[in-house]
Amino acid sequence: MDYRAQLGIRFITRRKGSLIAASLAVAIAILVVQVNSVIFQGLYDAIVRDLINYRFGHVFISRQEDFITKSSFVLVNWLERIPYVEAAAPRIDYSAQINSTVNGQLIKDYAVPVIGVDPVLDRKASTMYQTVGDGQYVSFRNSIVLGAIADRDLGYPKVGDTVKLKFKDQHGNDVLKRFTVVGITKTAGSVGLDNSVIINIDTLREIIDRPQQTQSIIVKLSDPTKDEQVKDFFLSSFPSNADKFKAQTIEEAAELTLSGFRSGIALINLVGYFGMMSSAFAVVTIQMMQVTSKTRDIGVMRALGSKRKDVLLVFIFQGMVIGAIGAGLGTVLGVVYTVYAKETHLTFQGSLALEVKYNWTSIVQTDILAFVLAVIASIYPAYKATKLEPVEAMRVG
Amino acid sequence: MADYVLEVQNVDKVYGQGETAVQALQNISFKVRKGEFMLIVGSSGSGKSTLLNMIGLLDRPTTGNVTIDGIDTSTLNDNQLSTFRNSKLGFIFQFSNLLSDLTVLENVMFPRKIQGTLQSAAEEASTLLKTVGLESQMNKFANKISGGQAQRVAITRALINRPAIVLADEPTGNLDSLSAETTIHLLKSLNRKLNQTFIVVTHDRPQFGDVDKVVTIRDGKIVEGELEASLR
Repeated sequence: MDYRAQLGIRFITRRKGSLIAASLAVAIAILVVQVNSVIFQGLYDAIVRDLINYRFGHVFISRQEDFITKSSFVLVNWLERIPYVEAAAPRIDYSAQINSTVNGQLIKDYAVPVIGVDPVLDRKASTMYQTVGDGQYVSFRNSIVLGAIADRDLGYPKVGDTVKLKFKDQHGNDVLKRFTVVGITKTAGSVGLDNSVIINIDTLREIIDRPQQTQSIIVKLSDPTKDEQVKDFFLSSFPSNADKFKAQTIEEAAELTLSGFRSGIALINLVGYFGMMSSAFAVVTIQMMQVTSKTRDIGVMRALGSKRKDVLLVFIFQGMVIGAIGAGLGTVLGVVYTVYAKETHLTFQGSLALEVKYNWTSIVQTDILAFVLAVIASIYPAYKATKLEPVEAMRVG
Repeated sequence: MADYVLEVQNVDKVYGQGETAVQALQNISFKVRKGEFMLIVGSSGSGKSTLLNMIGLLDRPTTGNVTIDGIDTSTLNDNQLSTFRNSKLGFIFQFSNLLSDLTVLENVMFPRKIQGTLQSAAEEASTLLKTVGLESQMNKFANKISGGQAQRVAITRALINRPAIVLADEPTGNLDSLSAETTIHLLKSLNRKLNQTFIVVTHDRPQFGDVDKVVTIRDGKIVEGELEASLR
């Protein structure tokens, strides 16, 4: 082994206190980045997951203006013939005034988003039906599922109660309709349709006088990585100006919701990387202490013929040892935390289950960054070591 | 081949500038032949260690030249000086100055590791350690042996590269009388056996008995004495 590497390794490994302190500083910085990643990237991915499951699918098809007039039956069948498409379902987003009478007391009208779903297709393309905690999902024509927030605002009507909705059809006429509550839906973090009500799409079409029309089609893929491909294939297959289709991936469809989270994650990552910079300062301090404690040895090395660059390399190797051990320890701690978060289905603020992924690229990048920072942090102390004159170093060391 | 292994010519050393300047050495000149055992003697603060540092190329004279093995060292840059120290000079310090993070064997091999000539270095180091009676201590870390043993290790480390000159700065200054006697005996026997040039700084002239040459330093200057006698 090169003698500079050997000395660098021995200098630091035989000072266990310094080695542990410096390596822990690096390891904890990595752990902070990893924990941030697990929590905040996990939260972001969980929101994306739920938006896919409840609202948009992997690909969200709509029309640039107004409603899709092409038959949803035809479109869904066409889409389901694409190999990567697992299911597709039509939906209509509308609004209505809603009221209910609970315990003889009328809860005044207020505006509520109304989602029209196909009871059969929606179960295949969305997991919205799984969020019904009390009762069942939309089935018969007059059934309604209340979002938990809408339910609260209506004074907590129960399954079996009735609610009245007042719609305006496409001609501007008021249409009053009574529905029977069949279920209450509640989603973690209210990412689903908690502030909406869900009814049968055919009922909604009839009420607003838009037979066979659809506002959007959510497409669930068997391979989510093919979303761009499916989107492009769809658009190229329906290029007509009359159709004016718009197809979006989840990232595009939920851009408004997600962009804020992305900025937040970037900020949190920045905090993590600042933590890493702090660990670099800890390495600088410990390395300076090492140089001070090894001043006599540096003098001896120089007297025996080591050049200044050899002294520099000894402390750079020492930094590499700190970086390697710290990165290794940090990775182990980070992976253990990630496994724990994944296996225990860690939740954010007790509700939203984080979507924890093993992001090896990110782990390796963080490790490399931590290692490089430990080495960079060693440059200044190493440089100071090279400036020691042998006679002086041996006298004061 | 040069007649002298060391030529010190008109060496002055001044520390500081202006009013605070201190003249540590003044007009020092002498020569040493290969194989000689020379002492530099003087009281504390006389300048003898400063002179040894000049000869050991650990410090540069303010004026004057130090020529070792025919090479004028004043022309060498920092890197060349390091290489030169490694190949031409061996050092024995008062406190042995072994690297405590290396084993005894690794310490002895250290100058060879710097040189990058590791072939047979381990065997040569082992042989030298055997010569000084430390073959059983080879794999111990340097801070686990006694002061006398450490000084013997330092002697073998100084010899591993077969230097032109071995410089020893108060090599017995930190040893008990028995270890000091053993060390002096060892230095002298190596001088005779290997025809190795030794320059030893000491404040205890009588301890060394008969030597080839003595330079006495007082207030940074060579004073008349044994040097003159030996040169006659």
